[in-house]
Amino acid sequence: MSETLTRPETETVVQKEQYFSLSFVLSRVLNSGVIMSIEKNDQELKRLEKSIAKLTKTKYVSLFNSYTGAIHGALWGQDIRYQSSTRLNHPSDQERKFLEWLGISLVAEPHVKQAYSSISLSGSNLRDVDRLVHETGGEAPVLIVDFTELGFGPVAAIATNDENIWKKAERLKIFGAFDLQTMWTQEESEPELQPTAQFNYRLSPLVAACVKLTLLRRNLSS
Amino acid sequence: MKTDFIRKPLSLPSEDWITDPLAFLGGPSVIPEDVRRTNFPIITKEDVIQMMVSIQQDGDEVVNEFKEAYRNYVGANYAIATASGTSSLHLALVGAGVEPGDEVIVPAFTFIATAQAVVAAKAIPIFVDIDPITYCLDPTKAEHAITNKTKAIMPVHVHGLPADLPALRSLVDKYSLRLVEDASHAHSASIHGQLAGSIGDSAGQSLMADKNFMVGGEGGIAFFKEKEDYERALGFLDSSGIDYRMSWIVAAFGLSQLDRLPYYDDIRARNAAYLTNALSETKLFSGPHVPEGYRHSYNMYRIKLSPERLGLDDLEDYRVKDAVQQLVNHEGVYAREWQNVPIPGHLPFKNRRGFGNGYPFTLSDRQDFGYELNQFPETLKMLRNSLTICRELRTPIEYERIQAYALAFKKIDENPHIIRQLVEQGNDLSIPYERDARLG
Repeated sequence: MSETLTRPETETVVQKEQYFSLSFVLSRVLNSGVIMSIEKNDQELKRLEKSIAKLTKTKYVSLFNSYTGAIHGALWGQDIRYQSSTRLNHPSDQERKFLEWLGISLVAEPHVKQAYSSISLSGSNLRDVDRLVHETGGEAPVLIVDFTELGFGPVAAIATNDENIWKKAERLKIFGAFDLQTMWTQEESEPELQPTAQFNYRLSPLVAACVKLTLLRRNLSS
Repeated sequence: MKTDFIRKPLSLPSEDWITDPLAFLGGPSVIPEDVRRTNFPIITKEDVIQMMVSIQQDGDEVVNEFKEAYRNYVGANYAIATASGTSSLHLALVGAGVEPGDEVIVPAFTFIATAQAVVAAKAIPIFVDIDPITYCLDPTKAEHAITNKTKAIMPVHVHGLPADLPALRSLVDKYSLRLVEDASHAHSASIHGQLAGSIGDSAGQSLMADKNFMVGGEGGIAFFKEKEDYERALGFLDSSGIDYRMSWIVAAFGLSQLDRLPYYDDIRARNAAYLTNALSETKLFSGPHVPEGYRHSYNMYRIKLSPERLGLDDLEDYRVKDAVQQLVNHEGVYAREWQNVPIPGHLPFKNRRGFGNGYPFTLSDRQDFGYELNQFPETLKMLRNSLTICRELRTPIEYERIQAYALAFKKIDENPHIIRQLVEQGNDLSIPYERDARLG
């Protein structure tokens, strides 16, 4: 165990006021036994997915262990894959690099639909989340919500009303929703949903629990 | 309070239980239903306190502290903490210099992530059959699979038994290839005292929920022997923009669990040795073979069935296995199949669509990728004639529980006529690898 009990001089992302509530919720999750298996910890992930669906007023939510994972899910869900092209509004350097790595070209033509819109939530804009979500409404078929700046590590979600996008995005994940629903078989009657390249974008239930608590308490944050 | 605490103890076992009627036929179970649950990871006050400490610290420092502590434990020169085992394997491959279109030799029997990591590196997985005794990659067959496109060999330490790395090292040296370990099952496993993860040129290791050493739910770590390979992996993270970072929350849990890993390892080894010895007293069952100088970590414990030793060799081996599984499950031991189809028979490798439009498989000149299941006879045989104990032996279970497991197998061994009856009653059971492929 670490010998240092407190490190007050270190800059942290998690605010002091949150220490107790987050420690409490993490202890509860640890004590509940959910991290002992994929099947059990899936319950914790579903709770966060429901919260995000409510927040974004969308039907389908898929969690990822990073913003780039969520980008991959959003693109894959729309069949934007190797040798495809798409458009993004003001792509960041990281987004450009990641799409290039995926073999996807970025185009500027305005008639090409924007692949996704995104918002990044942090301690400072959390109370404005409803407005931020509202402002992105209808811009793209998928909304990516990046929670990484909340301070729990890389975590993001895609939110969409298109079931097919969600299904395909889940198929991109090793241990995605389908793997659990089908008793770990990956057989799929719909050829376009069959798994191909897959990445482990699965989120830790401990991280999910922290994000969920933070969303629940967003109106109490200073 | 919602808790994982197990409140009811097992009764002390008795050798008399072996002669009780089988639970399948209405007799008493060796392990009654209300005491079957096992628990892992064990959460202690240290885990909770560490979490309270880490929450006050800078997240990157927590991850770094964990990474350095575990790197030191393993004895690797360089490490990158990741969000998953798959991503750690991806980095291990890229760090070792695997480039788009290269071929990487992997065993046909493993978890699908081994091969998917090769695809993530935009390389072509070439599957090779396993050794029939160790169930790990067969070095002789691996040599036959080497072509001028081969860049690396990535053995898997199946269930926690290190693959034959000395033989594979000779092979990679002979052909100027790289040796990348998939050490995802092999925390604390070793060859002549050198820990898995530190032996190859690089290694990837899962730290997720089903492992002997898990961080908080999902995680992984990549190890590198050479600075150049480590820096190549870091360079890839920068150039691709991909975010594979581990969360500090899971790293915090890893820190406190790491302190207790050797203790859990010792209990697991003690229990496995007890069970292997007990199975050696049966005719039907035998435990894993561990070569001299090797340390098995027993993330899973595969039991081989030898029906011929009970006069059941006129029956289909997979039907005998299925009958035994039913019987032993009724006795309270959850032995089961882990994997039923070699990885090349899973959809992603049957379809070969990769990143889209068949990439990276389209980079290959091959007409035949060698993915037909009949290329892997030893894997198929193993899938027909063995059962696996997973979580139930991973946890530091009580002495009386491992005694009870042993008694359950001995009880089945005493009843070959019931096994025969069950098989002869017949059903529409198909051969494991003709069913839908299961991930685990």
